[in-house]
Amino acid sequence: MKRKVLSIIVISAVIITIALSTIPLWGSPEFIQFSINALILATLAQSWNIIGGYTGYPSFGNSLFYGLGGYGVAIGMLQFNFPFALGLIFGVALAVLVAFLLGLPVLRLRGQYFAIATLALAQVMSAFVSNLDIAGGNIGLVLPLSLSDTLFFELSLGLLALTTLTVAWIANSRFGFGLIAIRENEQAAMVLGVNTTLYKVLAFALCGIFTAIAGGIHAYYITYLDPSSAFDSTLNIKMIIMTVFGGSGSILGPILGAFVLSGVAEILAIEITSLASLFFGLVIVLAIIFMPRGIVDFIRRFPELGWRYFQENIRIYRL
Amino acid sequence: MQLLWQILVNGILLGGFYALMSLGLVLVWGVLKIVNLSHGSLIMLGAYISYYLFSYFNVDPFAGLPISMLTLFCLGFLIQRYLINFVINAPMFNTLLITFGLDVTITYLAQLLFGADYRTINPDYTGANFILFGATVPLVRLYAFGVSISLTVILWLFLSFTKIGRAIRATSQNLVAARLYGVDPRLIYALTFAIGAAMAGAAGSLNGVISQINPYIGILFTAKSFVIAIIGGLENTLFVIAGGLILGVVEVLTALYIGPTYTNLISFGILVLVLIIRPTGLLGRTA
Repeated sequence: MKRKVLSIIVISAVIITIALSTIPLWGSPEFIQFSINALILATLAQSWNIIGGYTGYPSFGNSLFYGLGGYGVAIGMLQFNFPFALGLIFGVALAVLVAFLLGLPVLRLRGQYFAIATLALAQVMSAFVSNLDIAGGNIGLVLPLSLSDTLFFELSLGLLALTTLTVAWIANSRFGFGLIAIRENEQAAMVLGVNTTLYKVLAFALCGIFTAIAGGIHAYYITYLDPSSAFDSTLNIKMIIMTVFGGSGSILGPILGAFVLSGVAEILAIEITSLASLFFGLVIVLAIIFMPRGIVDFIRRFPELGWRYFQENIRIYRL
Repeated sequence: MQLLWQILVNGILLGGFYALMSLGLVLVWGVLKIVNLSHGSLIMLGAYISYYLFSYFNVDPFAGLPISMLTLFCLGFLIQRYLINFVINAPMFNTLLITFGLDVTITYLAQLLFGADYRTINPDYTGANFILFGATVPLVRLYAFGVSISLTVILWLFLSFTKIGRAIRATSQNLVAARLYGVDPRLIYALTFAIGAAMAGAAGSLNGVISQINPYIGILFTAKSFVIAIIGGLENTLFVIAGGLILGVVEVLTALYIGPTYTNLISFGILVLVLIIRPTGLLGRTA
């Protein structure tokens, strides 16, 4: 039974991916550009889901990996004359290295301390890079003119598919159960024989890999990189809001959240740019109060509970 | 030597302001056990209130301080009573996120209303200064320092010796026991948040005088307030003075000896280091 459901999901996911991959054939250039951004944000949300959703360590500094991926590509291509693919690998290697080096001490912290430490680390890395000559300092780097938008679209779509497959594997594997156990009760997980340090660092590194690839693709796509855009702290806001709004700790939630919120933000940004950011803020405040477990949970339980769904959510957590 | 003395004076004056800046965050964190990520945006609002009072009604920024504190007090009360109280028992991540959402909302609302330009409050005594053992002391910075330290001490006296203050401390130590003694936690939480917001408002007004204002300055204030909270701990609001002075002096020394672009690197580096080595805070205990 379960196998049958699973195969239906996999088949429909493949069909949707193939259908999406035809967008460059019929979409307008603006729509393709919007789609590339939405796909990259969805990838960021999905990667955040690994460490924040499944492992229960809410990182507020994933832009760290995003920036490293971007700078990996930029430094690789400009200073060492690497091809793009090798630059990506260089960026990913940097991200993995940092995930291990910083993850070991930082993942010992819990709750708000972990959140604050990651938030600060992203700032530290940004300040560090802006003092590096090889990275162009504060001025940044200009990359060679890039490939066609179609190629970037397919790359981003492929990356999102890969990330989602990894999350789907996590959700159904021994490794993933270990992560969920850590999220629910780390002490108990340790007693039951989960190597918590190893699992946490691996989850952090996995999330770092996908975030770094997304950063690398985006850097080459916009062909320009400076510390404040590479380590853009609003990205942290977006990836977290999208994941939580969609449903953190679920396979499709982050994608759903990213697509819905990117769409609405794009429509609002046509009027005034800051309106879109304002909207993100309001969404997060309302979502945390009325549907803290995201759209996925809402779809599952709203038909049964009706408006009581919102009352229940408030009643559990209110003072 | 002369230079070092001047730098130390600058650092101490800055540190006093930093103490007031972080006071609200430390109080709310200690009592409500939530990290208020919207703290910096409340500071930003306080700065704009002083700015508009000064530019349109010619109210001196130091005289405008109580108005900005009162406004922020009311706003803080409403935020806690009608928003955060609804999620206060949720996992830490939810409260972190809702204050984060508030921060984004306030910041971009401010951008819509006030515009993104840099603004400053320049009363006619802005440039005045005097010489203290060879070091130049700008008058506005000294005033700001004095106001900051006084407000910090007043808050400490309030928490230590008044009935409401005791109720706040009791709630922070043991919510259930405080409830049994007749403390209404909803009111106390709202009051605590309101006091924290009022302190943020005061810090904002002072910041308008000693530095520049734009809608995005908040996040840096929040981040630096963390650093101070981690150095000073949450147990005693007087420790924020020590935390503020340490951060202020370290920042000016970094700017002098390593380079001005390294100040954030060093202060957040300190934060991460302290968190890893002594997660309970350097001077006192955190939550």
